[in-house]
Amino acid sequence: MIGVTVFTFGISQIIPADPAAILCGERCGLVDPTTGMTLLELQRERLGLNKPIIEQFAIYLQNLLEGDWGESTAYHRPTSEVVKDAAPITLEMSFFALFIGYPIGITLGILSAVWQDSVFDHISRFMAIAFVSLPIFWLAMMLQLLFSTGPDVGGICDPLFGTQGGCLPIYGRHDVALTFPDYTSITCSEISCYPWYYPSGGTGFHLVDSWFVTDDALSTLHPDYSTNRALFNDSLSHLFLPSFTLGIASAGSLLRYMRASLLEVLNEDYVRTARAKGVSERRVILVHACRNALVPILTILGFSIGGAIGGAVLTESIFSFNGMGRVAVQAITVLDFSVIMGVTLITAVIFLIANLIVDILYAVIDPRVRLE
Amino acid sequence: MIEELEDNPNDMPERDTPLIEVKELRKYFPVKSGMFSKVQSHVKAVDGVDFSIRKGEVFGIVGESGCGKTTLGRVLLGLIPITSGSVSYGGDDIREINDRELRRKMQIVFQDPGGSMNPRFSVRSIVGEPLIVNGLTDGAELTKKVGELLASVGLKDSHMTRFPHEFSGGQKQRIALARALSLDPEFILLDEPTSALDVSVQAQVLNLLIDIQKERDLTFVFIAHDLAVVRHISDRVAVMYLGKIVEMADAEDIYKNPIHAYTKALISAIPTPDPNDERSEELLEGDVPSPIDPPPGCSFGHRLNHPKWEESTRVDLTLKEISPGHWVQPCPCCTEGL
Amino acid sequence: MSWKEGEEDREESLRRINERLSQIRIDASRSWKVFRRSILAITGLAMVVSVTLISIFADDIAVEHPSRDLLDTRDTWVNDYEPKRVAPFSEECDWHKQTISLTTLRRWDANWTTALSHEKVNPDDRTFYRDTLEVIELVSLEDNLGYDIDLSLVSVDEDNSSLIWISDQLISNTSYTTIRLTYVFNNEEMHHSWLPDGYDVCIFGTNTEGQDLFSKVLYGSRVSLKIGFTVASLTVIIGTVVGSVSGYYGGRVDEVMMRVTDVFFAVPGLILAMAFVAALQAVESFTMPLWLAILVPTSFLAISARSLVADSILPSSEKKSLASSDSIYSYFKQPVIVLSVIMFLILAGPWEGLFEVTDSWLWRVLSSLIIIFLVVGLVIADRAILDKSSFDDYLGRARSALDWRNPYRYLTLRTLAIFLSVAILHRLSGDTDGEITLIQDFDRLWKVQVALVFTGWPGYARLIRGQVLYVKEMAFVEAARSVGAPPGRIMFRHILPNAWAPLLVAFTLDIGGTILSASGLSFIGLGAEPYAAEWGRLVSDGRTYFPQDWWLILFPGLAIAFTTLGFNLLGDGIRDVVDPKNRS
Repeated sequence: MIGVTVFTFGISQIIPADPAAILCGERCGLVDPTTGMTLLELQRERLGLNKPIIEQFAIYLQNLLEGDWGESTAYHRPTSEVVKDAAPITLEMSFFALFIGYPIGITLGILSAVWQDSVFDHISRFMAIAFVSLPIFWLAMMLQLLFSTGPDVGGICDPLFGTQGGCLPIYGRHDVALTFPDYTSITCSEISCYPWYYPSGGTGFHLVDSWFVTDDALSTLHPDYSTNRALFNDSLSHLFLPSFTLGIASAGSLLRYMRASLLEVLNEDYVRTARAKGVSERRVILVHACRNALVPILTILGFSIGGAIGGAVLTESIFSFNGMGRVAVQAITVLDFSVIMGVTLITAVIFLIANLIVDILYAVIDPRVRLE
Repeated sequence: MIEELEDNPNDMPERDTPLIEVKELRKYFPVKSGMFSKVQSHVKAVDGVDFSIRKGEVFGIVGESGCGKTTLGRVLLGLIPITSGSVSYGGDDIREINDRELRRKMQIVFQDPGGSMNPRFSVRSIVGEPLIVNGLTDGAELTKKVGELLASVGLKDSHMTRFPHEFSGGQKQRIALARALSLDPEFILLDEPTSALDVSVQAQVLNLLIDIQKERDLTFVFIAHDLAVVRHISDRVAVMYLGKIVEMADAEDIYKNPIHAYTKALISAIPTPDPNDERSEELLEGDVPSPIDPPPGCSFGHRLNHPKWEESTRVDLTLKEISPGHWVQPCPCCTEGL
Repeated sequence: MSWKEGEEDREESLRRINERLSQIRIDASRSWKVFRRSILAITGLAMVVSVTLISIFADDIAVEHPSRDLLDTRDTWVNDYEPKRVAPFSEECDWHKQTISLTTLRRWDANWTTALSHEKVNPDDRTFYRDTLEVIELVSLEDNLGYDIDLSLVSVDEDNSSLIWISDQLISNTSYTTIRLTYVFNNEEMHHSWLPDGYDVCIFGTNTEGQDLFSKVLYGSRVSLKIGFTVASLTVIIGTVVGSVSGYYGGRVDEVMMRVTDVFFAVPGLILAMAFVAALQAVESFTMPLWLAILVPTSFLAISARSLVADSILPSSEKKSLASSDSIYSYFKQPVIVLSVIMFLILAGPWEGLFEVTDSWLWRVLSSLIIIFLVVGLVIADRAILDKSSFDDYLGRARSALDWRNPYRYLTLRTLAIFLSVAILHRLSGDTDGEITLIQDFDRLWKVQVALVFTGWPGYARLIRGQVLYVKEMAFVEAARSVGAPPGRIMFRHILPNAWAPLLVAFTLDIGGTILSASGLSFIGLGAEPYAAEWGRLVSDGRTYFPQDWWLILFPGLAIAFTTLGFNLLGDGIRDVVDPKNRS
C-alpha cells in the first residue's frame, strides 16, 4: 500500500505539466497587489509545490490519511468526491460482470473437462481463447450493434423479438425519461451520475438503491417507473450489456482455468476411489471433484476483479457510464493529476481488499489453509 | 596437493590422519512465516555432530529419511553454510579454504543420477563440466580425458555424444561418478548413490565404487538408509537420528554388537534370505518426529514413549566411547545399562 | 601447438557443432509432432503467418497508401473530392465506375483533364504515384447541386482514352462552381484478382475522409505487429534479468523486487499504462546522457577484456590458488596504488594542459585513444603485477571475489577503477552535457510502447523468478555448483536453458496481449494520431458514425481479434509442446 502511494506520487512528479499553471490558466501572469507575487507563484505556494519533494510526499500522505485527496482541476471538486461518486459505478459493473462471467466460465469449464477431447471441448476451448482475444471496446460496440439498433444496420433484436429500436438500452445507467422531472437536483454534475430520486447517502449501486426509493419520489417519476421493481429492471437492463461485455472476457480465462483444474482433480486418487465405490458420475463430478477444483479458481477471483476494473476503462466510455475508468480517461487527457492519483489509489485499494476477501474465503473453503 | 597437507604438525602415520574433522556441527534452517517473514523457528537438520574421518577410509552414515544425513553431507562439502561448529579438511577450516580449491578436493555423487544431470547437456559436457569450469582442459584434450574417465567407470567412448535420458539408472550413476572423478579429488561424498537403482544394478555400482576407492586411494563418505549396503562398503558406520549421531563404530562391530535401541531396530529391519531366521524383530513405531523443535532429551525414547524418557532430558547425551572405536549416545532409555 | 593438434581441435569443434545441430533437429521434430496434433495450434500458426505476410506485402495488396494526403491539390482532378463514407460492397465502391469532381473553374485552363487513379505507393522508391485510367464510357455529369448536365459537354479524346475534354460552354458558364463526372474505366493495374469481380477497392468501405479502410487495415498490421514484438521482447528481456537475479540470489534483493512487482500488480495494467502515457506526454525524444552511453559499453568491454586476458595470457599454473592469510592493508594495497597512479597520470600529469589547449575533434579522438590504451594497459599491467609480485593479496581478494555466494563480486575495486577512468575519459573529451538520442521521433506510438514495457515487465519477472526457483532446486544445479561452476555459468548454461519454455509461451501470448492493450490505449485516444493506420485508432475514429457506419468499427476490430487470436492459439499450442506432460 505504501508502495502504491509512492508510485502514484511518483507519477505525479513525472507528469511534466504544472498543476498550478493549469489551475490559474491564462491569469498566471497577473500580479497579486497584496503580496506582489504572480498568481502562478501563489498557486504553487497554495499547493505546496515549492517545497522539497520528500516534504511534499509527507504532506501528500498526511492529507490522504485525513481524507483530503486534493482538488480536481478538471471537475473543480474535491478529488475524494469525484472518486467516491465514480467508484460504485465501476464496482457495480465489475461485480455484475463477474456475476455473469463466473457461471458461464465455470459451467463451460466443467462440461469441457468432463467431455475432454470431444467436439464440445474443442469448440469451448476455442471460444475461451477467442473471448480473451476480442478487444473489449470492439466487443462492446458489436453488442450494441446487435442488441439495440434496427434491422437496417444489422441489429438482431427487432427482427427476432419484434421490438422497435432494439431490446436493450446501450447508453447510460437509466432511462432518459427518468432524468427530466428534476434535472437540477441530481447530486453530480453529470447526468448519469446520481439521480435525484435515490435516497441521499445511498450505496451508489443502482441495483440496490432502486429498492429504497420512497413512494413519494416514485410518484413524481415517469409513469412507466412508478414501482421499485420497474426502476430495478431499468437499471438491470442498462447494466446488462456493459457487464456482459466484461463478463465474457473473464469467462474465457475462467473456462481455461476451470478445465485445467478439474482435469487435474479428476486424476486424483480420491476421485477414482469415489468412482470405484459406485458413486454416480454426476455426483463424482459435482460433489467430489468440483469442490476441490473450485479452490484454485478462487485465487483468480481477486485478479479478475482487477481485470474487470481495467476493462471498465474501455466499456464505460462506450456505454456512457461515468465510472472510474471514464473519469480516469478524462483526467488524463486534461492532466488532472490528483484525480489520476486518486483513481489509481482507489483501484489498488479495491484490488487489495478483494484479495484479502479471497484469502479469507480460501480459509473458509479449504480446511488445509485453516490448519496452518 | 598431498604435500600441502603434510604441514599438519602431528606425526601420526598418514593412514590415521583425520582428513575431515567435524566438531559440534550444527545446521539450522529458519522457518519463515507471517507477514514480515519473521523467523518463527528452526529446522534442526544437523544438531551437534562430532566425528572424524581418516584418510582412505569409507565412512558410512545411515538413518531414516529426514534424519539430516543429506544435509550433513552438504555441509561437509561446504555447499551450504554452517550454522555453528566447524568442519576442517586436512587441518584447515573449510570456510577458510578457497572455494574452487575445495571443489577440486571434495566431490559429490548425488542420490538421483538423472536429476543431477542437466538434461540439455551431452555426456561429454556433463563429465567435462568440472574440467571446463576450473579451466583445466578444453577441446580435443577434454574429449580424450572424458573418454578415459568413462572407461574407468566402465562406459564406452561412444556414449559421449548421448544425452542423460538415453541411459539406464546404473549407467547414469556411472556417469555421475565419472564426473566426480574428473577433478581427481581426494574425497567423494556418496549421497545414497544406490537407493534409486535396482537391486541387481546396486551391486554392480557398489563393486565399482569399492574398486575405484581402492585403486585411487580415495576417502568416501557413504550416506544411505539401507544398512545392508552400508555394511558392504563401509569401514566405519555412524547411525543418525534426528540430526544427531546416536551410535558410531566399525562396520562389523556395529552390526554384531549394536547398543542403541535405534540401531538395533534398524538392523533387525534388514531382510534376511533365510526364512527360518528367528531374530527378534523390533518394529519401529510412529514416524520420525518433526525436526522443527524436536523433543528434548533422547528423541528416540520420546518416539517409543519410553518410561525412562523423562530421565534422558536431565543427562548429558554426548557420545561416549564404550569400547575402542565404539561410540554410543549414553541415554537412559535407549542404551540401557550405560 | 602442433598442426596435428590444431586439426584435432577443429574436428572436435565441428563434431560438437554437429552434435548440437542434430539435437536441435531432434527437438524440433519432436515438438512439431506434438504441435501438429492440435488443430487449434495449427490454425493459430496459420493466422499469425498470414498476418505477418500481409504486413510484409501490404504495399502490394493495398489499393492506396493509408495516409494519402487529403489536401493534395497538385492535381486538377481529385478522386472523391468530397470525401464520404462508403459502405462496403456498395455501388460507389466499384471503381470501374468512378466519380471525379472538378474543383474550381480556374483549373480548367487547359480544357482537358486526365483520369487518374487514387494515390498509390510505388513499392520501389516508396513515392506516391497515380495510374492513368483508361476511360471506357462516360456515365453522368452533375453540377454541385446534383442536377444532371448534358453529357455531351465533356468528351473522351479519341486518341488518348485517358484524356477528357471539357467544352468551352461548360468552362464559360460561371454558375458551375464544381461539376461531378462519373465514368467507367478500365485499369488492369488496379484490378486485384483476389477481389470479387467489380469490387477492386473498398471491400471494407471508406472512412469519413474517403480513405479506403481495407488499405488502412492492411497497413495497420505493420503497426500492431511492430508494437507487439517490440514490447514483448523488451518486457521479456527486462523481466528475465530482474526475475533471474531475484530468483537466483533470493534474500533481500528478491524481497525488494517482489514488493516492487506487487505495486504493479495492485493497479490494473491499462490504468497504469494510461497514467504513464500521460506522464510521457511532453517528452519529445528519448535520450540518454552521453557519459552513460560511453560508460556502459566501455565497462562491459573492459570487464570482458579483463577475463579474456586472465584466461589467455596467464598460464594456468598461476591460476591455481593457494590458501593464505590476508590483512586489511594488503587487501586494499594494490588497487589503491593502481587507482592513485591512474588519478595521478590523468589529473596531475601533463595531459590536462594538452587537452585544454585545443578543442578540435582530432585532439579529442587522439586523447580518447591514448586514454583507452592507457586503461587497457593498466588493466593488463595491474593484473600481471598483482599476480606475480604479491600473490597473497590477489588471493585474499580473489577468494571473496570468486565466492559464488557473493553477488557483488563483479563490482570489484578494479572494475570501479575502470568505471572511474572511463568517466574521466569522457570529461576530458570535452563534451560535458552531451546526449545520445535513443529514439529520435518520440511519437505517441513510442509512448504507448514505453508505457506497455513499463507495465509489462513485472509479470515476466514473476514468471522467471518462479521458474528459476524451481530449476534452482533441481539436483543438476547443485551438481554444477559442487564442481565449482561460477554463478554466471550456472545461470546461463544450467538454469535459463531449462527455464525458458514457459517464457516462450508467455512471450507468444504477450504479443497478442500487447496488441490488445495498445489498441485499447489508441482507442481511448492515447495512442496513434487521428486517422493513422492503427487498428485501435481506426475503431476510435469510427465511433462518431456508430452505429450507422458499422463497417468503420467492424473491420479494424476483426483485424485485432484475428491477430490476437492467432497469437493466443499459437501460444496455447506451444504450451502443449513444452508441457512436460507431453514429453515422452
